[in-house]
Amino acid sequence: MKVNEVPQDITYYEGEKRACYALNDEGKYVIVTSTGWSAEEVVNGLAVAELAANLEETRKAVIKGLKSPLVYHMEQCQMTPEILAKTAGMATFRVKRHFRPEIFAKLKLSVLDSYAKALAVTIEELKNVPE
Amino acid sequence: MTTETLANGKPYIHRTSAHCETGVTSALFRDKGVDISEPMIFGIGSGIFFGHLPFLKWTGLPVSTFRSLPGTVFSKAAKRLGAKVFRKRFRNPQKGMDELRRVIRTGQIVAVTTNVYWLSYFPRRYRFNFSGHNLIVLYETENGFRVSDPALLEYTVDCSTHDMERARFARGPMEARGLMYYPLSVNPNPDIRKACITGMLDSCKQMLKIPIPLFGVKGMRYLTKKIIKWPDKLGYVEACRQLAHIVRFQEEMGTGGAGFRYIFAAFLQEASELFESPELNELSNEMTAIGDIWREFAVVSARIIKQRGQAEETFAKAGGLMLICAGREEQLFRNLDKVVRKFKP
Repeated sequence: MKVNEVPQDITYYEGEKRACYALNDEGKYVIVTSTGWSAEEVVNGLAVAELAANLEETRKAVIKGLKSPLVYHMEQCQMTPEILAKTAGMATFRVKRHFRPEIFAKLKLSVLDSYAKALAVTIEELKNVPE
Repeated sequence: MTTETLANGKPYIHRTSAHCETGVTSALFRDKGVDISEPMIFGIGSGIFFGHLPFLKWTGLPVSTFRSLPGTVFSKAAKRLGAKVFRKRFRNPQKGMDELRRVIRTGQIVAVTTNVYWLSYFPRRYRFNFSGHNLIVLYETENGFRVSDPALLEYTVDCSTHDMERARFARGPMEARGLMYYPLSVNPNPDIRKACITGMLDSCKQMLKIPIPLFGVKGMRYLTKKIIKWPDKLGYVEACRQLAHIVRFQEEMGTGGAGFRYIFAAFLQEASELFESPELNELSNEMTAIGDIWREFAVVSARIIKQRGQAEETFAKAGGLMLICAGREEQLFRNLDKVVRKFKP
């Protein structure tokens, strides 16, 4: 890759720049900053869109009363039940059980508190999903 | 480039680098007075690699890696350059944070391994749940730390105590468990020639001689076969997801372009000056050419994903490009092995 071939497609890194190694005119490697590459945008965009779509689906399921809000907040933190269980210091099967809305509604304050800490939200936020 | 003053009054110069671990390692060595570039660290620490790990999942998809195991570049480079290092994980987050504070108060900069999701200065779309990002903590500020993240930013930033603790002690796959590291003492005149030879021979071994078909050049061939079969086996959408995942490992993780191939070419170029060897320079040019094919692989993959199937670009073509890379890299590392064995330290 030559210096003038370093992609400067879009300001995709939210204004930040990333370093690339490229050859200058004398054939020496130098660091060149890149503002973004459209090929990278496609693959990253696919992953970001997938996460967003899953989150939206979960949000709808929570509003319908099929899942507890805990699932939504867990997915927002990009966690799996296993990771959430480790972070909150609970058994995985217990976390999975709390995904059922009727069981989540009866949880003690101390349990809710450990979830809230693990997911970095307040208890009030934990009980609801955004409209 | 930004300059910061550390707790003991020493200056620290922030330089942008392509990859987090090599950039951090290079900065740590520079702080100790040994000026060594990022590609040099990458080569000496034998960073170049390929591996496809179907049993290790990240966001539900198999991991393909273009570099050796996280942490090994630092420890190998430090060992080969004759540095004594401090490297520790913690069970108790409080102890981990206290130790970090204690060390940076003495004016020693410390590298920590963090989870990207919890670092709020990161661009939103790069905040994935990935524990393996390295950065340097410079000194304490009022409500947190001043950090230098050479792989992402052109300047230093503030990071709150909360962010830092969550990022260092995030749970999940590849837990960092508060890993922090820095060199205790560095040999002021390291034997760079010898270190380069060891590094290059080790790289050749990693790429050619691991007797498991998932690693090195064999891994590329294995993955090629899988890519070509994906559309029939998994269906188009799923095949696209998997392909995108490979390209993300190649480009997104701060690789300096083409899955570290360009950094390695830069290393070979620097080494050719050091050994005054035209052969190494030729190999560097060849590595650049291979890097260009990897970039083309990314472009073709992006097109496949974008056009959703009405195709002049096919999975077979993407797989073919990777197969070309495998063949040429095999030849390159065989030649490198021959060339390096002739050198005398």
